[in-house]
Amino acid sequence: MKQEISALMDGELFEDEAENLLGRIKRDSDAHGDWEIYHLIGDVLRQPEHVHCDLSAKVRKRMQDEPIVLAPHGRAVKQKMRTVALSAAASLAAVGVVAWMSLQIGHETVPQMAMKQPVLRPASAQIRPKANDYLMAHHEFSPRIIDMSGGASYIHTIAYTNNEK
Amino acid sequence: MRAALYGLLLAVTANTYAGERQISLDWLKIVAFAAHQTDYSGVFVYQYDNRVETSRITHVIEADGEYERLESLDGPKREIIRHHGQVWCYINRKMTQVDSQQMHSRFPALLPEQISTLSENYQAREAGTERVAGYNAQVFLFKPNDNLRYVHKIWAHTDSGLLLKVAVLDTNNQVVEQYIFTQLQIGGNIDRSWIGAKKPPQRDAGSPTPVEPVKSGTLTDSAWVVGALPPGFKKTMEIQRAMRGKHAPVTQIVFSDGLSAISIFVEPDDGDEDDVEGLSSRGAVNLYHKVLDKHLITVVGEVPPRTVIQVLDSVRYNGK
Repeated sequence: MKQEISALMDGELFEDEAENLLGRIKRDSDAHGDWEIYHLIGDVLRQPEHVHCDLSAKVRKRMQDEPIVLAPHGRAVKQKMRTVALSAAASLAAVGVVAWMSLQIGHETVPQMAMKQPVLRPASAQIRPKANDYLMAHHEFSPRIIDMSGGASYIHTIAYTNNEK
Repeated sequence: MRAALYGLLLAVTANTYAGERQISLDWLKIVAFAAHQTDYSGVFVYQYDNRVETSRITHVIEADGEYERLESLDGPKREIIRHHGQVWCYINRKMTQVDSQQMHSRFPALLPEQISTLSENYQAREAGTERVAGYNAQVFLFKPNDNLRYVHKIWAHTDSGLLLKVAVLDTNNQVVEQYIFTQLQIGGNIDRSWIGAKKPPQRDAGSPTPVEPVKSGTLTDSAWVVGALPPGFKKTMEIQRAMRGKHAPVTQIVFSDGLSAISIFVEPDDGDEDDVEGLSSRGAVNLYHKVLDKHLITVVGEVPPRTVIQVLDSVRYNGK
């Protein structure tokens, strides 16, 4: 688990693995603790003068301390609510800034990967039925070492060609 | 032929200490033979582009050669029977026959020159043993020497050499497509009742519609050349063929590196708006269209998108 978290922070996990792991971190408080400690370690190593120690817990605590408004509608209350909303927004914004900062600092690999991705697999459409003829013509002369796949693509291509007829 | 297979198996056992690469290539020969020399019947899954298709395949050897039957188990009912270069399709209760002379040339699947091409372009290594469909399988990994082709991983049945699983991976080790047997019977009593039933039923006999466009073409040598093929791709074929919906014959040039192939199709551009420039894909196969000098060029291959693009961009006419 710890290794996976570390890999996630280094941007070494694939998207689906990362999502899966983030889900587990959310559910598992121990893992969540590890996640925070690793970030703290990273922050200390990179920028010792800006250490955010367990900021999210503090924000959460402050949010809980905010009064819950149960009173009926009224002008004064509305005013109060707006204040609450604003302070909440401010807290969220602060979290956002920290998150953004840690992204800037800690995940140099992330933008790089994002840039590499389209080169590897450009957004390409499904092959349209009309182009199946090219595929069949191509399959005729493909090396037949892996005959199993040859057969499977063949049934696929030929079937779709005929369905479309 | 059986004897040949066992001979190869023995050769491999004897060769175990002769070096990794050699073993894998001998194994490949066994794999290639096994696909044609084994009676088997099983269900396999084809997974590509977040889709899954299930088919049943039955392969038997009769006195007059191999018979292969493929049935789709999901979606509309499709059935294909292959025998001696002839193909019968049974789609939506209608039987049609496909002519394909090229299919004769498919056996043996692995020619000696293909093996040498393969070893020049891929690092072949054994990757342990795993269980697939209840059988022990030897895993082989073919890593290309550049990033212009995919990684191929195959799982071959330890006893017969039959392929139990095939995966194509990209450079990030993500699966691009894979075929996996989920259930398989090797040898033994396999249903052969379908073999006699391949002839078109009486009711359709009046109007058999041949399934185009698998038609043989004539060998040719056009002046179209490719400047930037990935290293190791060698020209294996150039033909002129008729294709469905095309008025003029289409030139097809095929290059292969032993594991995958790239086809280049050249035809006069008829201004069809459907043939817009662009990339499309299905599993490991990528297709790229482009109009060049009033010709529509199409590149198709089991190679990454960047490779079909690179190949197409380097196509030029070298004639007068």
